Amino acid sequence: MTHERVAVVGIGQTKHKKRRDDLSIAGLVREAAQRALDDARMTWSDIDAVVIGKAPDIFEGVMKPELYLSDALGGAGKPVFRVHTAGSVGGSTAIVASHLISSRVHKRVLAVAWEKQSEGNAQFGLGGGKSGSIGAGGAFAPWIRAYIQKSGAPEHIGWQVAVKDRQNALRNQYAHLQLKDISIDKVRESPMMWDPLHFLESCPSSDGAGAIVLTDEAGGDAAAADGRAPAWILGTSMRSEPSSFNGRDPIRPQAGIDCAWDVYRQAGITDPRRQIDVAELYVPFSWYEPMWLEGHDIAPVGEGWKMVDRGETAFDGDFPVNPSGGVLSSNPIGASGMLRFLEAALQVRGAAGEHQVDGAKVALAQAYGAAAQYFAMWAVGADKP
Amino acid sequence: MTVSTQTVSTIQFPYKRTLGPVMGRFFSELTARRIVGIRSGERVIVPPMEYDPETGNELAHDFVEVGPAGTVRSWTWVAEPIESHPLDRPFAFVLVRLDGADTDLVHVLDAGSEDAVHTGMRVAPRWRDEPVGRIDDIVCFVPGEHADSPEGEPGEAQDVTTMEYFSKITYTDVLSPTLVRYANNLRAGRLTGQRCPQCNRVFLGRGYCSVDAILLGPELDEVLPDRGVVSNYTIITPTPYPGQKETEPFARASVVLEGDEMVIAQQQILDIPVSEIRVGMRVRAEWMPDAERDAAEITSKGWGTVAGFIKGWRHTGEPDEPAEQYMNRVF
Ligand SMILES: [Zn+2]
Repeated sequence: MTHERVAVVGIGQTKHKKRRDDLSIAGLVREAAQRALDDARMTWSDIDAVVIGKAPDIFEGVMKPELYLSDALGGAGKPVFRVHTAGSVGGSTAIVASHLISSRVHKRVLAVAWEKQSEGNAQFGLGGGKSGSIGAGGAFAPWIRAYIQKSGAPEHIGWQVAVKDRQNALRNQYAHLQLKDISIDKVRESPMMWDPLHFLESCPSSDGAGAIVLTDEAGGDAAAADGRAPAWILGTSMRSEPSSFNGRDPIRPQAGIDCAWDVYRQAGITDPRRQIDVAELYVPFSWYEPMWLEGHDIAPVGEGWKMVDRGETAFDGDFPVNPSGGVLSSNPIGASGMLRFLEAALQVRGAAGEHQVDGAKVALAQAYGAAAQYFAMWAVGADKP
Repeated sequence: MTVSTQTVSTIQFPYKRTLGPVMGRFFSELTARRIVGIRSGERVIVPPMEYDPETGNELAHDFVEVGPAGTVRSWTWVAEPIESHPLDRPFAFVLVRLDGADTDLVHVLDAGSEDAVHTGMRVAPRWRDEPVGRIDDIVCFVPGEHADSPEGEPGEAQDVTTMEYFSKITYTDVLSPTLVRYANNLRAGRLTGQRCPQCNRVFLGRGYCSVDAILLGPELDEVLPDRGVVSNYTIITPTPYPGQKETEPFARASVVLEGDEMVIAQQQILDIPVSEIRVGMRVRAEWMPDAERDAAEITSKGWGTVAGFIKGWRHTGEPDEPAEQYMNRVF
């Protein structure tokens, strides 16, 4: 017996900001969830189960916040699950929700992922509460240096990605950063934060949430019949590997390659560069765009930066990456993966508004976490598989 | 002298909550010595919530003043209060059903002795002298019908939108036998690891191979060279946060031990400006003096730290190794 087909029929997100001082944590997740329910033409009582994701609890200092949030998300008397896979969690949360349907355990599932970074301090949290935290930028900078050295990429590639994603964000009303005057010069001249990463090559710190309503095939068909195009899930995968062992390639981790090919196989993709119309990749630091293009075999090894250089990943390029503005423009950490996943779904539904990529039929979304060791990816399509 | 098998750590942080319109109203009203709930159908929920907890439906902002007196619905006696408890003398945690409310408020009752507490007893708040818009504006409940209020009328309600939340946790890490052996060797000035018999990789203080998932016992211990090569590094511009002591850009380097063995991450390179650190530099460990060696940083997270034993690494003056051979080795 094959698995149940899964459709995305509702999408919601908050306006992401440095500090959502108008909302409690419950209010933040409800803003995204209510929008997803409205989009799906559903109410809380239509939902069978809720899946909640966020990054480490130390970021807000609320331990096991899923307990406090279960009734805020209409979860009383329903199965409620918490997912945590570091930075990839927003993607994993959507995937866990999809599996509850593909396995025919539930028919309608709400997935919500969030972070309210302004309540605490991520540098503090990532440093285990101690002085001298290297933060995410400090952890990734050496690998970025290694990528640049190995690939021979010129330094402007990082600046170019930083500008491109911020320009895309200007099309997205929900994006946190709205840097109208962003330019290569501005990026190059911004302070060096974690050599070789400049301040403007790094993601912001955001409050925000994303939510997705997923249904079984009948739910997807009903939405389509009602003139609300669903996004059909073509493939999902999660992969992990240890952070540290002799022989690991941290620039192009095996887990990332395996995760991508698992999704491609399920989706019938043999040539990702040609068969995928748009990709939302988790790029918290500019150089990760070429690194993941290579890390997921979209570009050959050593060629990812050339795709960037030729403008192919730009909004009007032939392989647009991060039309939403990406993590570089909004980073509510726990939600950041889900924002990639829901943007991919928006694109194939033709519902991405000003950041809609023309003719997007197949979209790829990816999120990664911790020491580039946890991966979550899905491919979604406009046509039922 | 051997190391302790436990290390104790404390994490603390002043979090700042944004309260939102409903909890914000509750805390604002406390500053005027009023307690409010919110109407949810036939019920009044205290403290108020933004949504009906049974359905998730949003509630209209229909606030209802309740109490201040109420009835104890359940309780538990705390005979020996700890530092983080709201009262410094024996007290009861109570569930109070305030008059006019349909849910119970968790609070504390100052009743003198356990014998004086019973379910069904009437209690009323003791208000703080200078309210700040926090739940402990009600210092505690006391037996009786009448609130214990400071002299004079309360002022207008202040507009409370945020709450400081100071969080502190102290925890004890129990070290594995492998880590205890590792730390004892460090104290003796020896860097040791275990070599996996299956893949020949060396791991520091882990007791298992991360790749083959097999246990690595004491018979596999070997002494490793305290010399190596800088494989990569980060120069960090520190951002301020509570507890951050760094103010100037600082560097953290990864050192691959000689013979291409394990990486020791997040190391300091001594005596040279951060701008002169380069991949491929040959370095040697600078050990702490015997008397200053300290195992407080050795925890069971499995990262093989040398903090507390090796101060940093010093350039040996030998020619550099080729950078490209090492750059991938960071953790
Ligand atoms: Zn092994």
